[in-house]
Amino acid sequence: MSDAAPSLLSINNVEVIYDHVSLAIKGVSIEVPRGGMVGLLGANGAGKSTLLKSVSGLLKTERGEVTRGEVRFDGRNIDALTPQERVELGIVHVLEGRRVFEHLTPDENLVAASAVRGGRADMLRNRERVYGYFPRLHERRTAQAGYLSGGEQQMLAIGRALMTQPRLLMLDEPSLGLAPFLVAEIFEIIRRINREEQLSVLLVEQNAIAALEVVSHGYLIENGRIVMHDSSEAMKKNPDIQEFYLGGGAARDFHGIKHYRRRKRWLT
Amino acid sequence: MDWTLFAELAVNGALSGLMYSLVAMGIVLIYKSSSVPNLAQGALTMLSAYIVLAIAGALKAPLWLAIPLAMAVMFGIGMGIERVALRRLAGRPIIMILMMTLGLDIFVRAATMTLWGGTARPLPLGISDAPLFLGPLLLNRAYVVGALVALVLFAVFFFFFRTRRGIVLRAIADDYTASWSVGISVERGVALSWAMSSVVATAAGVLWGSIQGVDQSLSQLLLKGIAVAVLGGMDSVGGAILAGILLGVIENTASGFLDPLVGGGSRDLVVAAILVLTILVRPHGLFGREDIERI
Amino acid sequence: MFLRQSGIHHASYSADRALFPIPFDRWAVAVLLAFGLAAPWLVSSLTLSTYLLPWIVWTTAALGLNLILGWAGQFHFGYAAIMGIGAYATVHGTRHGIPFEIAIVLGGLTAAAIGVVFSFTALRVKGLYLALSTLALQFCMDWVISHVPAISGGTQATLQAPPLKILGQGVSSETGYYYLALAWCLLVTVFMLNLKRSSLGRALVAVREKDFAAAVIGVNSFYYKLVAFATSSFIGGVTGAVLIFSFYHAVTPEQFAVNVSIEVLAMVIVGGLASIIGSFFGAAFILLMPGLMNALITWVSARLGLGLSVETLAHLPHAVYGALIIAFLLVEPMGLGKLYNNVRNYLLVWPFGYTRK
Repeated sequence: MSDAAPSLLSINNVEVIYDHVSLAIKGVSIEVPRGGMVGLLGANGAGKSTLLKSVSGLLKTERGEVTRGEVRFDGRNIDALTPQERVELGIVHVLEGRRVFEHLTPDENLVAASAVRGGRADMLRNRERVYGYFPRLHERRTAQAGYLSGGEQQMLAIGRALMTQPRLLMLDEPSLGLAPFLVAEIFEIIRRINREEQLSVLLVEQNAIAALEVVSHGYLIENGRIVMHDSSEAMKKNPDIQEFYLGGGAARDFHGIKHYRRRKRWLT
Repeated sequence: MDWTLFAELAVNGALSGLMYSLVAMGIVLIYKSSSVPNLAQGALTMLSAYIVLAIAGALKAPLWLAIPLAMAVMFGIGMGIERVALRRLAGRPIIMILMMTLGLDIFVRAATMTLWGGTARPLPLGISDAPLFLGPLLLNRAYVVGALVALVLFAVFFFFFRTRRGIVLRAIADDYTASWSVGISVERGVALSWAMSSVVATAAGVLWGSIQGVDQSLSQLLLKGIAVAVLGGMDSVGGAILAGILLGVIENTASGFLDPLVGGGSRDLVVAAILVLTILVRPHGLFGREDIERI
Repeated sequence: MFLRQSGIHHASYSADRALFPIPFDRWAVAVLLAFGLAAPWLVSSLTLSTYLLPWIVWTTAALGLNLILGWAGQFHFGYAAIMGIGAYATVHGTRHGIPFEIAIVLGGLTAAAIGVVFSFTALRVKGLYLALSTLALQFCMDWVISHVPAISGGTQATLQAPPLKILGQGVSSETGYYYLALAWCLLVTVFMLNLKRSSLGRALVAVREKDFAAAVIGVNSFYYKLVAFATSSFIGGVTGAVLIFSFYHAVTPEQFAVNVSIEVLAMVIVGGLASIIGSFFGAAFILLMPGLMNALITWVSARLGLGLSVETLAHLPHAVYGALIIAFLLVEPMGLGKLYNNVRNYLLVWPFGYTRK
């Protein structure tokens, strides 16, 4: 991004170390433009979730630490802020594996998340808006959240995040364990929210096919480093991406091993 | 069987059981809003009674003034406990948290004894000793007052946990990390729950202190509080009330008939047995939430 | 440094699985063992009977509790009751003319049988509820012991232990008592050291980490929970008997009350879960600290002329004890064993600290 206005979120050369010893991500830089929708792709353990946690401030609970680089939100360095202050600024993180408040109803889940700002009227209006995006939640509004289906729980987790009236929505693997048609439905809703509310979205996914359909730009992270950054169209066409993430390689013979060597090269 | 005696034992048991609910409610409050089982509630109850006496003694304040002042002090102590002892333990295994509250229990009890000594002191609330007759049944006035206070507090907390702040506290108990992720200040929520629980402990401490005098035995209310809290379901305020009544009735009638047989002292046995049986038969109590374990 | 790893090559599986593969550890253990055996001649008889002996006995108790708490991950807040059952059973056995060697095994078995009763709750619940139910069972046991005259010899009674006789030889010296305790402690320590390389130990750890997952890969978690409770209770029961015969010489219900349970628990937590060396440290810490604190407080108040009352002096060490447990959980929740391991790990690679991990 080479716009004159600063991006909403810019991560500059960030390094995260867990428990003083294990290096999770190294020299990672990412930009999320205002109102943009950016994807972050990568395999298991590549460091995607760690990167999101460094933005939302949840590293501390896992004994992690940003040891180098800085995270800027709206032009402001947020490294010293608590998770709560970051949510007040407008950053919200939808955790991997849904993590809804299981013993509360969807109604109460949404109310609990509205604690950070606004009066009662705001809260009610917001809740209606969320139910507008997720009519299915409205049907189950008084059930216990722990007994909702996986897709409903994911919708609830996203809705809960929307209750904080964010400017940046970070989603950590919303497709995890969901049927493809549900993934498509949820991604469609995310795109709608992005369009209608000018909400910036950072989408972390393993499911590259689905993610590249909705984002405008993508980053590829591997072994804690960003190895590729391009528009989603270009990424879809990239032979390496096709081979390793989209699984579309037509000829599956031993020549594929050569690709493996090639991939190794862009890592170092 | 003497039915009047039985009814009298049962009714007085129910009333004293409601006073156990006061201790149990403190435990439930903290568990419901931070998933911490507080084994120091007995010690806090004892401490609060001593603080009431200390304030009344030092400021020459009348009790009606000393009690709210002590509640304010206990509010601060509750916040302080969260700040010093529990904040750094968030997310640790439950055994560490249990050990921490046991350590708190030992510390608070011994510190109270160090400051004020172990001799029993009276805490006269001015409730008359004259018996209250309900038909043919003889009731203890102090227990009636205690039971009323318990019911009032139940009503307060019943509504509190349906307010926005109450819902936030329940959310914290469910998942600390998820609460952080949507901007809930977990630390403040937990501190608030400890502070509220300490205030409830003051109510329990004053009422029990007025009945049995203020000394170290107040801290032994913990066993009864825990038994009531577990029987009612660790996170159910209403459960604590009903379980208190149930436990009080069983304890009083059972020990009333058992004591002559075994030479006294069967109360604690009955309470401990109820606790074990509850956990064996219905671990989540009468009204507690069942934990959803996904594999 | 001394803890050198270089030059240690294992040519066989048995060498690879040795308890102490590093020579320095072997030397340290040998020196400690020699000191332990020679202690009656090295330290005064008073030190022996007031510090060393109780330390060794309580360490054994902490190891027994660590088996169930640290390895199997099952909470046990009623360990003192189990020790008490073993102690009472052994004392009654010897009073009825059963030789001590047989009586103490019977005592251990009785404790194991009762321990299995405790484990029935463990088969049903875990975590907090297990902790609370074992705590309640401790109260029940306390009550039964003190209220059944056939066990306690009447309320408020003290039951004298008969003179200790091992293999027909009367043992009545402090040295003899010490060796009895030491022998039992060594036996349990070796057992615990071997536990982590046995299939039982691995199964227990699997159950601790996630009992469902363990069950899925074919570890019968019910069976192993039962085994863990029975074994740990056997150790506890025998330790209780050793405690009575070598230290107290008479048994009363208060010796095994709920605060003793919490004390043993504190030893395990302060020492470190599933840490054997930690149990030694933890027991020493919890046992010695009140005495040290008492001495320190008396000294300070005498020096500063505070004139603290007798009551204050009596309760202050307890307050400090509680405060230290709190401080420990805040500063090093993994316990003294972890601190020791940190130092050891540092020395293992010294001076090449960066090779760590």
